[in-house]
Amino acid sequence: MVDPIEFFGNHTFRMVFFGTTVIGLVAGALGSFAYLRKQSLISDVIAHSALPGALLAFLTAVVVLGVSGRNMLGLIVGAVTTGTLAALFANSIAARTKIRIDTAMAISLTVFFGAGMIVLRIIANGPFPGKGGIEDYLFGNASVITIADLATSTAVGALALILMLVFWKEFTLRTFDPVHSTVLGFRASVIDTLMFTTIVIAIVIGVQAVGVVLMIAVVVTPPAAARQWTSTLPGMVALSGAFGAIGSGVGAYLSIAVGNIPTGPVIVLTLFVIFLVSLLASPRRSVITTTLRRARARESLRRELLTETTDR
Amino acid sequence: MSFILGTSLLAVVTALACALPGAFVVLRRNSMLVEGIAHAVLPGIVVGYAFTLDLNSPWLIVGAALAGLLVVLCNEWLIRTGLLTGDAPQGLVFPALFAAGIILITLDFNHVHLHTHVVLVGDLNLAAFHQLVVNGVSIGPRYLYVMLAVLIVNVAFIAIFYPKLKVTTFDDQFAMVLGMRTKLLNTAFMFLVSVTVVAAFHAAGALLVISLVVVPAATAHLISQRLSVMLVLTALFAVVGALAGFWIAYVLNAATSAGMAVFYGFMFVAVAFIDKLAIRVRRYRRAEAASAGRPAGNLGIEGLLAKPRYAFAAQRRQEESGRRDGSAPAADTQAAE
Repeated sequence: MVDPIEFFGNHTFRMVFFGTTVIGLVAGALGSFAYLRKQSLISDVIAHSALPGALLAFLTAVVVLGVSGRNMLGLIVGAVTTGTLAALFANSIAARTKIRIDTAMAISLTVFFGAGMIVLRIIANGPFPGKGGIEDYLFGNASVITIADLATSTAVGALALILMLVFWKEFTLRTFDPVHSTVLGFRASVIDTLMFTTIVIAIVIGVQAVGVVLMIAVVVTPPAAARQWTSTLPGMVALSGAFGAIGSGVGAYLSIAVGNIPTGPVIVLTLFVIFLVSLLASPRRSVITTTLRRARARESLRRELLTETTDR
Repeated sequence: MSFILGTSLLAVVTALACALPGAFVVLRRNSMLVEGIAHAVLPGIVVGYAFTLDLNSPWLIVGAALAGLLVVLCNEWLIRTGLLTGDAPQGLVFPALFAAGIILITLDFNHVHLHTHVVLVGDLNLAAFHQLVVNGVSIGPRYLYVMLAVLIVNVAFIAIFYPKLKVTTFDDQFAMVLGMRTKLLNTAFMFLVSVTVVAAFHAAGALLVISLVVVPAATAHLISQRLSVMLVLTALFAVVGALAGFWIAYVLNAATSAGMAVFYGFMFVAVAFIDKLAIRVRRYRRAEAASAGRPAGNLGIEGLLAKPRYAFAAQRRQEESGRRDGSAPAADTQAAE
């Protein structure tokens, strides 16, 4: 076990902790919009499809530009490109053919991820400098986060959050009443593109630390947990961001403290525990509260009926 | 049997075994649920492998399939609580189970040696390595016979329950009115899908098996108006895709399932494109015929197939009523139960 003082005294551990906390915060906050628009699973498509983009960015950097392939900005640009393409591909299948969105998402996801696995094999078989550990994009390896990486992902994540705050009113209206927002003259396509871009950014900054396979959990789980505690949008976004940050930070700490476990899976399990507690025992809406409320209502109805009969 | 023949045969049988139930998966809008199942079976496989030390053991296959079924049941339960919205219930349980499986592997649980790459996309050549030898003669990979058994079970299930599967797929409420146990049938069917996914795990891994299940059926759905035609086309696309994907992967020295997934994708786009083109040509010809005062003539193969379209029409009706309710199209099959 690594105790907290030793943990924060270590540079690598500090990077891991802050890096994953930033990822959890941004993904949790922006995941709220995906959740409320009932499109949580599209984040799975985006995350998986980030793989070929990240790998092609690596190849471009090494082969064409002749620089180090491990560049956070290159990774983000590549991953945003393929992630967005995959989401657009899925949506256009659903819009143009009789295939429905769930199958369209499955098709898009497997094509892009399959292509990514082929590129991964090409990289593994070829003589590329700095290719060691490239497979970490699958399950994430937070211990390779450098100060430059942290700065880049914080800046890009902050940009996404600022976009969200600037267009807060538009996002809210479009989420809850799309027809009304169109009637008021807001361009649906512009707002959708903006909202989508922020969500894609939130997903791809987590690829390095959490990995493409499990990033969906960081986007879907915090909003689902936060929804059980609050019924306002600001409250939900803030709480979801907080849950994401806490779950990721604690998960990263645990993965290092226990030792030799990839960071991504531990973060996912930590977030899942937060979700389970929220679903089962949040004070306002949860499985236990609902059960108790129903039992109480049944009891009071029974008493009422009994008094009625005895009164007569 | 030569190694390459045995392995390509294995690719074809695996593709067929996955694709046939896939036709119903696509029509029942359960595609992303299969993604969840394929991830969730991982901890089941790891624990089962630690005890049986054999990825082809029937105990392991059934045990791990129960883990996959867990996702289906949890999804239904989460929807029933009414506390979650949209497709979020489908995305909550499987990452946690998959993460547990990965942690078990990295902790070297009971000395399970599964490479993460194999976990994700499988390794067909490794799966085909153990040959079945009868009287000193090799009759193909041992794993081929496991997949053949799964294929036979799938075909038998579909053949026996074909009418019931058809009516529950296209009009679930009507099936309920008829007194059918739609929920039981659905659970049994999803369990079968789960068994297939686990069996195919060795060849296609946790992430790309969904491609084998969903994409041939989706491609067939594009150009068919009848369920029976769709099933035949699904099988055809699966065989073509398996052979082409095997060849692509062989040339690129990549995982077979990755080659298959990419080729399936191209096949889907090509078929969708040709279908659109054919519709446009037909519309143009009809307009020309109408302006010339002649009746529209031969409608081609789709015209021949188009007659009994009431099944799809019923489904479209159901979809429209679902949209009126404002519920997400992906969720309304479950919500209807």
